[in-house]
Amino acid sequence: MSRLSFRPRPLDIHKKLPIVKSVKDFEDDDVPSSTRNSQLLRLAAGDSSENEVHHHHHHHHHQGPAPAPTPTPTNKKASPEIPTPQFVVVDTYERDYSRTFAQPTSYLRARGARAELGDFVEYDLDNEDEDWLQDLNRDRKVLPPDKFESLLFKLEVLDHKARERAGVITPTLGSPIPVLLQLDAATEALLALSIRYAVIQSVYNYWKEKRERWQKPILRRLQPPPPVNDTNPYNVFRPREKAHRLHTRRMQRRENNVQSFEKLRQVRRNLDQAKTILETLIKREEKKREVMETEVSLQRIQMKYKHETELLEDSLALPGFPPLSKFGSSEEEFMDSDDVANSRLGTRPSAIHNPPLQESNLVFIPTGNMKQELKGRHVSQGWLHKMDPLEPVLLFTRPLVPEKLAAAGIAPPPDCSTKDEVSTPAYKFRGRIGRGGRLIFDRWNPLLHTPIDCGNSFYIPPKPRPATYN
Amino acid sequence: MGSIETPPSAENGSATHTAMPEGDQKPSGGVGFAPPVNEVTMESEMLKKRKMTMLPLEVGTRVMCRWRDGKYHPVKVIERRKLNLGGVNDYEYYVHYTEFNRRLDEWVKLEQLDLDSVEAVVDEKVEDKVTSLKMTRHQKRKIDETHVEGHEELDAASLREHEEFTKVKNIATIELGRYEIETWYFSPFPPEYNDSLKLYFCEFCLNFMKRKEQLQRHMRKCDLKHPPGDEIYRSGTLSMFEVDGKKNKVYGQNLCYLAKLFLDHKTLYYDVDLFLFYILCECDDRGCHMVGYFSKEKHSEESYNLACILTLPPYQRKGYGKFLIAFSYELSKKEGKVGTPERPLSDLGLLSYRGYWTRVLLDILKKHKGNISIKELSDMTAIKAEDILTTLQSLELIQYRKGQHVICADPKVLDRHLKAAGRGGLEVDVSKLIWTPYKEQG
Repeated sequence: MSRLSFRPRPLDIHKKLPIVKSVKDFEDDDVPSSTRNSQLLRLAAGDSSENEVHHHHHHHHHQGPAPAPTPTPTNKKASPEIPTPQFVVVDTYERDYSRTFAQPTSYLRARGARAELGDFVEYDLDNEDEDWLQDLNRDRKVLPPDKFESLLFKLEVLDHKARERAGVITPTLGSPIPVLLQLDAATEALLALSIRYAVIQSVYNYWKEKRERWQKPILRRLQPPPPVNDTNPYNVFRPREKAHRLHTRRMQRRENNVQSFEKLRQVRRNLDQAKTILETLIKREEKKREVMETEVSLQRIQMKYKHETELLEDSLALPGFPPLSKFGSSEEEFMDSDDVANSRLGTRPSAIHNPPLQESNLVFIPTGNMKQELKGRHVSQGWLHKMDPLEPVLLFTRPLVPEKLAAAGIAPPPDCSTKDEVSTPAYKFRGRIGRGGRLIFDRWNPLLHTPIDCGNSFYIPPKPRPATYN
Repeated sequence: MGSIETPPSAENGSATHTAMPEGDQKPSGGVGFAPPVNEVTMESEMLKKRKMTMLPLEVGTRVMCRWRDGKYHPVKVIERRKLNLGGVNDYEYYVHYTEFNRRLDEWVKLEQLDLDSVEAVVDEKVEDKVTSLKMTRHQKRKIDETHVEGHEELDAASLREHEEFTKVKNIATIELGRYEIETWYFSPFPPEYNDSLKLYFCEFCLNFMKRKEQLQRHMRKCDLKHPPGDEIYRSGTLSMFEVDGKKNKVYGQNLCYLAKLFLDHKTLYYDVDLFLFYILCECDDRGCHMVGYFSKEKHSEESYNLACILTLPPYQRKGYGKFLIAFSYELSKKEGKVGTPERPLSDLGLLSYRGYWTRVLLDILKKHKGNISIKELSDMTAIKAEDILTTLQSLELIQYRKGQHVICADPKVLDRHLKAAGRGGLEVDVSKLIWTPYKEQG
């Protein structure tokens, strides 16, 4: 047997199944355990095909010693004993039911309900009615049964109408239903039947007594159904609210009652609370952003202040250069950004401290020019506007300090593209501290005079600097 | 007289077991204790004493009881009640024949019971021990709870509740048209009918009465000769009527009361407004006589196309049940829906449905060429896919081969199954069905 036949997949009802016509197709094959397969399939189908199993139990139980298990499914089905129903023919039938029916050629159509037809006496005398009538008629025939039946029926209908007028028709049988019809009203309504008043009176009294004993109409059509929540299994035919939707017991749990209303109110409360929470959450996040922005600007200020101090220190240490206080105080220049830091790097007046660097192209430029240049650049580029003013900026980028580089034994890359520009050293590359503290030297684009591989935001037009230095 | 001592004879056995008044057969109060005509031995006196002390029998007693076949069968006393005119110990007993379905439970007179066979007061624990030798507790419980076969789908609790409320059949016999029929189960008739063992039904409007004279008087005035609905099918003498439970509430309720006498697990919990009743009739010059019916929810969320189905006992085994099932599927086809019967199915119901599904599906498989999916079979037949799957699987026609499911449709095998399923009996002639699906009015 192949491995696959052990674990058939659940059957997909949309899948086209081959129909195998010959049993030989199977017998050539190794015999599959069809029983096992079908059991698995049953499980997969989630269906309760256990009936046969139960029938077997039943069988054993009743027959005492179990007969040998039936080999074929055919026998299996015949096994439960189902008795022949018992009935006899009623000898009065042909007399009681007249041969007066003729089928029309067309299909029969329903007529209105009996209640709507009006003249049909729906009430049938019961045992106690008959016994009472027999008593009434003992001496002489006072009232024939069909008249009595008709009287009781009319009393029931009149009483029902009286209750309708009084607006006391209850939809369900919750409490005893009182009699509203009065004797005089009944006699007046029944005048047309031309029955003696005494008879009507005694029938009325009999009816009223019975009616009060039953505590409900004696005509079944007029009896209200039991209340929906009545669980007595003897009370049947409960009404169902919202008829065409809730017609299973499971769905009844969702009917329009006080519980459902409370549940819906609870749902509403929960949703309102969720809304409040969300609104508060939004407020909190906005506050967080404000805090963040405040921190960023605080850091900017701190940085600016720090750089200013550094520059001040530098200039103090290098008396040959004029102090750069103006430079530091410029607001735009220190909008902290990598490119600002970069562009400033070359301007560091550190050459004197560090002869090897001095020889390189990392040479400072006259400060006056630089400041002018930077200012011009900012203005002309308007690059500030490209940035999201709300975007917090990472503040780890710092300019390279040449003396520190030298102290660490790091030499900038050699300049291999020296040109004929006379006095002004060209910016062959620029150094900076990148993310994570790496030292980065950006190659210099000789045409654009910008660092290569820098984004657009680093774009520096070629114009200002060469012009300045020429 | 003295029926305890009387050995069972075939003649006695066939005596009435219906709840007919038996006042003329024996003097009331003298149930089987008249002095024997012949010699009175000490033993028999002793025996009688013993019997006197065990009477009345307790509920739960196991004893042998003479059944309609004249033979004695083991029964368990379910309930007892005093006879109206009897003495202190004059009871009749409601017994369950342990070999048979609950539908055969009945009231019996003391004389039908063989008091010699009374088992000592039933000790449930002892019984447990005996049976537990062979079965696990689970198996035993299952048997106890499902001694009514066909209701395995109910859980134990609801089954117990059901049996407690319905353990005693209230109405033993009904008269309906031409037939006097023994009932099978309890039916929750209104309390005013509690004191009656027999009810007389008008066979057209299904009103029920306690006395024959009442029925006869009713028949003189009853203006119905057929069910109070639209005729939607007619073929020969067979007609089908559709009755709206909302328009004919009392009729629908009457039908439910009647049907419950023959259906163990029918519920009369909810009103009939939301159901349509399809009444199958045989028609002659006296009118259209109901032979069976099925009910159907006007709107079923669970895609039920049938709620209850019944063929009245005198008409059973004639193919009407199969006709009703087939008819319910024809309605579903006209609606363009698939359908399935509401569960649980009774034993008879399951048998009929299995037969119908087998016939319909195997007829298709015999003729069909090429591959076919369960969904396609469902679309063709309006049978729900799950029912198709169970049917084919129980016949072991779906097998798993070389990594895929195949349908085994060997003609010989199919014919064998078809034969076992029986023929369909009366065919539904779809051309004679004049019907539009129910639409809510207004």
